[in-house]
Amino acid sequence: MKRIICLGIILILCFVCQTTIFPHFTLAGISPNILLIFVVSFAFMQGKKEGMLLGFFCGLLIDIFFNSVIGINAALYMYIGYLAGYFNAIYYSEIIILPIILITGFDLLYNLVIYIFCFLLRNKLSLVFYIRKLFIPEAVYTMLIGIILYMIFHKINSYLTVKEEGSVE
Amino acid sequence: MKYNKGIELPPKFLLIAMTALCIILSIVTYFFRDSLSFLNVITNHTIVPMQNGVTSVSIWIEGKFETLQDIRSLISENEELKQQVDELTYANKIYQEDQYELNRLRDLLELDEKYSDYDKIGARVIAADSNNWFNTFVIDKGSNDGIEVDMNVIAGNGLVGIVTDVSPDYSTVKAITDDTSYVYAMFINTNDLCVVKGDTKEIIDGYINVTNIPKDAEISEGDELVTSHISNKFLEGITIGYVTEITIDSNNLTKTAKLTPVVDFKNLQEVLVITQKKQSVE
Repeated sequence: MKRIICLGIILILCFVCQTTIFPHFTLAGISPNILLIFVVSFAFMQGKKEGMLLGFFCGLLIDIFFNSVIGINAALYMYIGYLAGYFNAIYYSEIIILPIILITGFDLLYNLVIYIFCFLLRNKLSLVFYIRKLFIPEAVYTMLIGIILYMIFHKINSYLTVKEEGSVE
Repeated sequence: MKYNKGIELPPKFLLIAMTALCIILSIVTYFFRDSLSFLNVITNHTIVPMQNGVTSVSIWIEGKFETLQDIRSLISENEELKQQVDELTYANKIYQEDQYELNRLRDLLELDEKYSDYDKIGARVIAADSNNWFNTFVIDKGSNDGIEVDMNVIAGNGLVGIVTDVSPDYSTVKAITDDTSYVYAMFINTNDLCVVKGDTKEIIDGYINVTNIPKDAEISEGDELVTSHISNKFLEGITIGYVTEITIDSNNLTKTAKLTPVVDFKNLQEVLVITQKKQSVE
């Protein structure tokens, strides 16, 4: 229960920061995707189920605010969380390089999916341009922010896990 | 760690179930737009107040940084401006006389000033879209303040976008720079019609695409574009921007150009919502 409340608070904080602070601190007009960092980090640390649920609620929030059709971003983030959960099998708490690679990879994947469904299907073909001006800057920025945020999330996660184990005993 | 110790669903089944839920949600909201408005009411009382607060703080911090940076340039600018004030006060006197004459002539012609007499509500931008592909943002006024879907949003003296979604205390605005935005526009000096299409690719360089300009339109760079009379959502005569880089399309029937918007979309903080809708204007 404590875990659910904590994760809920972090999710809302991430969403508020994502929509208010980061648009003011863009690099080359690009803002990082910290909701994705959040979903991928916890999916990597806790597995498919948690990743999936967190992804669903993140996407749902985005849909409520910015889309008139609810459910599309929810599904997209949910699948990202689910896929990232597969890597839980090779999770070691000391290694930080793997989650960073995952975060960067999933950011690229996320943008690719949006490109294919929202741009390619509307006959906007200049993929190279989008890769250069949007995919790569966002991936790099997300990666840099991801290093810091992953360490924070990791601390929170191990704190919550220790608490739970303590309460079970 | 387990959420429910009794029944443990395998993640695969949960994924399938929730995918189905997502599909149902999107179908329902696609056909019945307001059916899930209770979700908006929940966010209205939880997240929007937080966004309001954080935005004010970050604007305040940004302001402080800018003050420190600007203080030097301000001193020299101040000197220049003082000179300009003197010049302009004199010029203003002449204009006032002209204005008086203009008003008199306008009364004679029974012409009204165009959009100074639309009713407007001021609103603050409190959140921006979470990815870099689209350009929508959230303002802190909603249906409680009389905002409705399809109201036009302006800032300074240019068009910003249109309200697409309204909740009790906030509403979502789609900017004209959004990749899915289309606005019918008109050249103010020749009355040639064209379409202003937002494009993610162009806005990175600060431009918006203008297409379907008739080939024989006598236009030149720097011409002003305003919203046209044939749109059913945008009010007539709101400035959009100034055209540059006019080229003839390969079909040799139409021209394409780029448009520099008059609104600074990168630092948008306050906007005005025109509370009259096109359909209701006589």
